[in-house]
Order: sequence, then C-alpha cells, then structure tokens
Amino acid sequence: MIAGTLTVGREQILAISQDVFAAMIDDGETIVFERFGDVNEPADPIVAWVDMTIGGLGIGARAVVRTERTVADALTRALLVMDADEVVGPEDLVDAFGEIANVVGGNVKSLLAAHAVLSLPTVAGEAPTMAEHQFLQQIPLDWRGHTLVVSLWSLS
Amino acid sequence: MKALVIDDSRTMRRIVTTVLKDLGYETTEAGDGQAALDVLEAGDTFDLACIDWNMPVMDGLTFVTKVRENRDWRSLTLMMVTTESEHGQIVRALAAGAHEYLIKPFTPDALRDKLELLGLLPVEETV
Repeated sequence: MIAGTLTVGREQILAISQDVFAAMIDDGETIVFERFGDVNEPADPIVAWVDMTIGGLGIGARAVVRTERTVADALTRALLVMDADEVVGPEDLVDAFGEIANVVGGNVKSLLAAHAVLSLPTVAGEAPTMAEHQFLQQIPLDWRGHTLVVSLWSLS
Repeated sequence: MKALVIDDSRTMRRIVTTVLKDLGYETTEAGDGQAALDVLEAGDTFDLACIDWNMPVMDGLTFVTKVRENRDWRSLTLMMVTTESEHGQIVRALAAGAHEYLIKPFTPDALRDKLELLGLLPVEETV
C-alpha cells in the first residue's frame, strides 16, 4: 500500500524536470536530459528539498535536488536575471534554488496516489540524513554540461 | 491595469511580474497572504491578484477566502499560480472564490492565455 502510494517513475521525474527548466530557466527550450554514466558527488554541494506528507496514512515523500554550488549559482543568475559575473548572495541562492525544488516537488506530489501536503523548501550545504531503505528513485540530469541529481525518498 | 503578485519566492515573483509588465501591467509584490491583505487594506486597488498557495504566515487559500469576505474587494480578480495541481485542490480554490488557476511551471503564453480568458489583457495586447 505504502510503496504503491509513493510510486513515481524516473521518466516522470525527468519529464517534470524538463518542464520546470524549460519554463523557468531556458526560455521554453528543453535542454535538460538524463545523464548517463558515473555521477560524482559534488565537491561543494548545495541541496534543496521539499516534503510531501500524506496525513491520513502517516507516510510521505521527500524530493531532493542536489548539485555543485557553482551550478546553483548559475541557476540563480538565470532565474533572477543577474549578470554572468555577479556574485550570488546566500539569500538569492536559497530563494532561487529552493524554488526549483519547490516546483519539481509540487509536481511530483501530484503524481502520488493520495493527497499530500507540500512543505516549504529547505536549502542546505548537505543532504538531510536518510536511510538506505528510504530511497525510492533517482535520476541524474545534464543541464548545459552540468550535473544535477533529483531523488525521491520515503519519509516513513 | 494593476496586478498584485503574491508569492513567498522572490524568484517566482520576478517571473510572474516580468510577464505581466511585458503585457503592460503595473505590478506590486507581496511575500505572503497577510502582506497582500495589508496592501489592500491600505487602499490600493488592483484588477488582478496572482496568488501562490503554499506560503508562510498566510497561505493563498486563506487570502482568497478573506478577500471574498470583503465586499469592497469584489472587483478584484483572483488567479491561483501554484504547484498544487491535484483536481481536489483546484476545486477547493475555485470554491473559495478564485476565478482562475495556473499551474507552475508555466510559460508566458500560458499566463497570457489565462488573462485573455478573464478579459484582463491590457487593450494594446488584446487581439
């Protein structure tokens, strides 16, 4: 029951991510694709996540987006229409990168088999501690030659 | 025409206001429902409010409900702009008094189409 409720396919996460980047960042052009091969852990990571809580069932899911700080900076500049050499402050980074996780997570939520409540996004320098058994799905993405990873975890 | 853009994300407010300004709107921004109510209570009038659902302090659905309780704000058109895309949520928002519903992420054309549907395109933009 729980596993079925939280089932979301990799292709669905890819499609959502492509829609989000095309609409919000890349002027309607789809330039985000699945990245194949080994994906290294970011040396200087930025992680954003939102939680989806299904109250009646006492379960939920967490959508996590992680990448290198430099990539999050580039995304922030694109979203806030900043100059290429403009320094990205922490408030702008949290707002812009958190909104990407918010929109990705909000659309993932619509695919769950039960109504869930979406949290506000959290942005941090490291991923929240999650156990291996909570892992549900993950897809590495390529955006302009950079790597982002979108993952989905069970909160139960 | 004047629009009130309500979203806790400055990033999303920028995206929405850019499209609206390109269409000829004057825009005012608010970071949550309570801040938006404060703007309305100060006497500013608007043709349109674009409202996020999930916000701290006061969420978008509560804002819609409070606006609909005040007869002075009857002429304000309310459009939810949110990631809440489940049918039940859309029904809740419309039942509370929202006129339209736009799901994030959206293209500029999608927002323009909603405004055309509502008869809220500035004259020079109307085809």
